[in-house]
Amino acid sequence: MARPAVILVGADKGGVGKTTVARTLIDYFGAHQTPTRAFDTEAPRGTLKRFHPDLTEVVDVTSVSDQMKIFDTLGSADAKVTVIDVRAGLLSSTLQALTEIGFLESAKKGQITFAVFHILGPSIASLEEIAETARVVGDANYFLVKNFVNNTTFFEWDPATYNSYFKRIKGAEEITIPKLNEMAYEQVEVASVPFVSFVGNKGPKGEAANYSFVLRGYVRHWLGNVWGEFDKVKLVDLVSPKVQSNVRQVAS
Amino acid sequence: MSFRSSITIVASPRPRVGKTLVARLLTDFHSSENRAAIAFDLNAGERTLAQFLPGQTVAASVRDVNGQMALFDRLVTGDDAAKIIDLGHDSYELFFTLAHQIGFVEEARQRSIAVAILFAVTPDQTSVSAYRSLRERFGRAMLVPLHNELLGSAQHRDKYPANGSGAVTVRLPALAPGLRKLIDTPPFSFANSSMANATGVPLDAHIELQRWLRRIYLEFRELDLRLLLADLRSSIRFGS
Repeated sequence: MARPAVILVGADKGGVGKTTVARTLIDYFGAHQTPTRAFDTEAPRGTLKRFHPDLTEVVDVTSVSDQMKIFDTLGSADAKVTVIDVRAGLLSSTLQALTEIGFLESAKKGQITFAVFHILGPSIASLEEIAETARVVGDANYFLVKNFVNNTTFFEWDPATYNSYFKRIKGAEEITIPKLNEMAYEQVEVASVPFVSFVGNKGPKGEAANYSFVLRGYVRHWLGNVWGEFDKVKLVDLVSPKVQSNVRQVAS
Repeated sequence: MSFRSSITIVASPRPRVGKTLVARLLTDFHSSENRAAIAFDLNAGERTLAQFLPGQTVAASVRDVNGQMALFDRLVTGDDAAKIIDLGHDSYELFFTLAHQIGFVEEARQRSIAVAILFAVTPDQTSVSAYRSLRERFGRAMLVPLHNELLGSAQHRDKYPANGSGAVTVRLPALAPGLRKLIDTPPFSFANSSMANATGVPLDAHIELQRWLRRIYLEFRELDLRLLLADLRSSIRFGS
């Protein structure tokens, strides 16, 4: 039996698109027929749950009972992949908690696949955040995500400075989330459905919807590019080496 | 026929190659075949098409998302009308980039709408490259070279290979200069055959115009037939 995989999506700053990235990950694994569950740490009301209500549970990651709910069930849950959307400001403390409960040690021993999607923010503080996170993340698969979905203009950092931080994390890989047309993004928000459902013109309960063909096209094109980034870092192989399928066929 | 309606895009990256005239002819052709027809004018500024077909022309734009939605969402609406796009050279690249990105041809086919691109051929390298690019990007649309003999008799066939088996080219025959002036003066309509008489055109000129029109309509009928044939072949191949 394949070992369970945990993907932590976080940043120490708010509004950098953590939940958007978590949503694309859930869609991606869904397209690869990889059973996935998600935890939304924006207690009491989670944004991720709004888009993926059937897969998502809202938890307080700082509470021991909820930590048990997530980590004690890794081996027994049907879902092979667990995506955790970590609330703004909680990434470092969550990683610290994972160290304390021995989770990172298990990951190091190869009992669990562990990946961190660190969503970068627009300011230099984010670079310091990388250094801070690097200290605790150890041997996890570490992905630095430059999220342009909201047309953030933060990558005017000095490349030398950025690289010096980037290189502190052994084996870190970079993922770029491209910009999505604002109106298309907004319409998916309004529809409150997964990106894949929007592309497939489906409502929240799988019923036929009537979204704009143009906006669906924008989302499909964008999602294809995002998944291309995930393909590039061999994400499916990381969490589920045996599964092979054509992700774009599913998207279309 | 297995497809319910068609979209014909009259295109060229070059200005003044007769796109609007062909769009007018196509719209009137469909009307003459008792089909509902809507023309979309994607030319910035002049809006010539609307002067000739005021009741059937929709001014369109792909410059912003609202315009893109107004155009493409309407194009794929299942209203059974034949749709003709007069694609101005200044919107050419943006239109096809977007159409490719959003999967326009695939969506249309899913809704049983056949798509044909009528490409006005000229000998310049820009057009030759643009044609090649369309062949690569829109394999499931029928790409049809349009030879406009009003511009001269050169055919450039070697530069514009027809698309796939059962391919077709469309020829727009030459027309006497006097008659060209007549048809290029609004509100001339090909659909209204009495128009020529009404504007005081001599009978022999009227007859020549009708003959010219019949030749073009024959080309369009052939195009319709090839579209149907391509659709049937595709249905058999893809089992759809």
